Amino acid sequence: MLRAVESVLAMVEMELRRLRHDPVEIATRAIQPVLWVTVFGVVMAHRISIGVQDYVSFIAPGVVFQSATFMALAYGIMMVFERESGILKKLLSSPIPRSSVVIGRSLAGAVRASTQYIIVLASAALVGARFTGNIPLLLVGYFIVVYTCTGFTALSILIASTVKARERFMGIVGAISMPLFFTSNALYPLDIMPEAIKLLAMVNPLTYAVNALRKLVLFSDVSILEDLAALTLFNAVSLLVAMRELDKIIE
Amino acid sequence: MFAIEVKDLVKVYSGGITALSGVDLMVEEGISHAILGPNGAGKTTLIRIVTTQIKPTRGIARVFGFDVKSQGGKVRELIGYVPQEMSLWTDLTGYENMLIYAKIYGIEPSKRWGVIEELLEFMDLKDAANRLVKTYSGGMIRRLEVAISLMPRPKLLVLDEPTIGLDPRARMLVWEKLLAYKRESGTTIFFATHYMDEADKYADKVSLINRGKIIAGGTPLELKETYGVEKIKLKVSGSVEKASSVLYELGYTASIGDNEEVVLTVKDPAIALPKIIESLHSVGVKVLEARVLEASLDDVFIKLTGRGISEEREGIREVLATRRMIKRGG
Repeated sequence: MLRAVESVLAMVEMELRRLRHDPVEIATRAIQPVLWVTVFGVVMAHRISIGVQDYVSFIAPGVVFQSATFMALAYGIMMVFERESGILKKLLSSPIPRSSVVIGRSLAGAVRASTQYIIVLASAALVGARFTGNIPLLLVGYFIVVYTCTGFTALSILIASTVKARERFMGIVGAISMPLFFTSNALYPLDIMPEAIKLLAMVNPLTYAVNALRKLVLFSDVSILEDLAALTLFNAVSLLVAMRELDKIIE
Repeated sequence: MFAIEVKDLVKVYSGGITALSGVDLMVEEGISHAILGPNGAGKTTLIRIVTTQIKPTRGIARVFGFDVKSQGGKVRELIGYVPQEMSLWTDLTGYENMLIYAKIYGIEPSKRWGVIEELLEFMDLKDAANRLVKTYSGGMIRRLEVAISLMPRPKLLVLDEPTIGLDPRARMLVWEKLLAYKRESGTTIFFATHYMDEADKYADKVSLINRGKIIAGGTPLELKETYGVEKIKLKVSGSVEKASSVLYELGYTASIGDNEEVVLTVKDPAIALPKIIESLHSVGVKVLEARVLEASLDDVFIKLTGRGISEEREGIREVLATRRMIKRGG
């Protein structure tokens, strides 16, 4: 058990060391979400005459997840590359169980994606959004981002195991990431959605992630147990299926 | 106890391609054992089953008595493995790659630094340890991969084409290190290669594989003695064409080399040679030099299958044909 934890952490460390050598992806991935909060958010706020502070603060947690889940969903491409190189073969023939490979890489992808949390909240704050100044709450918020992205990275690894070809992988990721964003409560509250979309939003894990983060950083509200339960269900399912399907990636 | 025991191993991939069709193989403990065959013969599939990456369709494979199917975890504790493709994160340094793998392999924190240091030293990589792997040469990458596979002190080291794409000097260096490690530790080395000289030089035992089946096995010498045919190279004065037609009448197919040389394969040079020289002499072709060339594992393979192992290695005929073409300017 201890060794499993150690190997999972080793993969997270690998990701952090990689980021240190080459932080460019964080910057390029940040451009879009920063535009969402600083341009879209501000313009919309004026247009619908809600205060910038209210609207940008409202969408910022959603944009955090839009950007972070996209990074998490794209992480699987790394597995496609590693499948073509020998890394995956080497990991699968090392003493660590396959579950550690999936959990380790999912967490590694999540940590990479979670960098968006800081960037988006900071840029939103710059244009006038207001978040809690309570450090423990902000840390719990960060945890929610990592937690959610672990499930999405596992989903990405699952897609990588099933499709194997790079082009098709990117196509599928592109096809699901935007709909995920729009069928969640990232940009607008659930109650103004049409019924059909609302139904979709209810089964969209992003809704619960955004909901939890919003409660924490906007309202300093810690009643996030329900959201956590939904996210846990999502994580468990994607991790388990990804573990079961990992063997397919090297066949 | 055998390091590897394989019985009637069959692997049919989901696309319906049969990669292995009944492989039997025993690898003794403590030796260096090569599996030699052309690309696509099934070497990599066999290695991937032995290293528990994929499951066989049928048959048995055991590593030190542990079944690869039902006791994969135990097998993985005992093996070190270097895949054919590169298994490093090129955007990390050599040292970082070793560190991450050391943690994945569960090497105790107190020993970690010592193990890494020692292996970097052993592989002559100490100076490059803090450089990103993407700046390494092919030989350095291979040595780092070998170093990583040695970290858990494996009882069995499995290498898939360990020197593919390396220049001769880099190849030699990789093998020097591998054999030195084997001498010190008694580790069994099992490797796949399509370079026949690599199997000949560095393996104690060789198994020849072709189309998913082992077709022969033994020490390189045994193989060459059992299946090998020897070559004679003659330097003649006078007409080379005439010489080869005389040889043809004697039942030999001779190929013509440079500088009035003819090369032919014979069973027993000691007996055949005097007769050949006599016959040539009688038609006025003088033999200036007669040289017996050692048989290679490639010759053994050709004898058994009718084709060579390496596509890169061309027959003397093709070489000549190419040269003639170049001379003609087309």
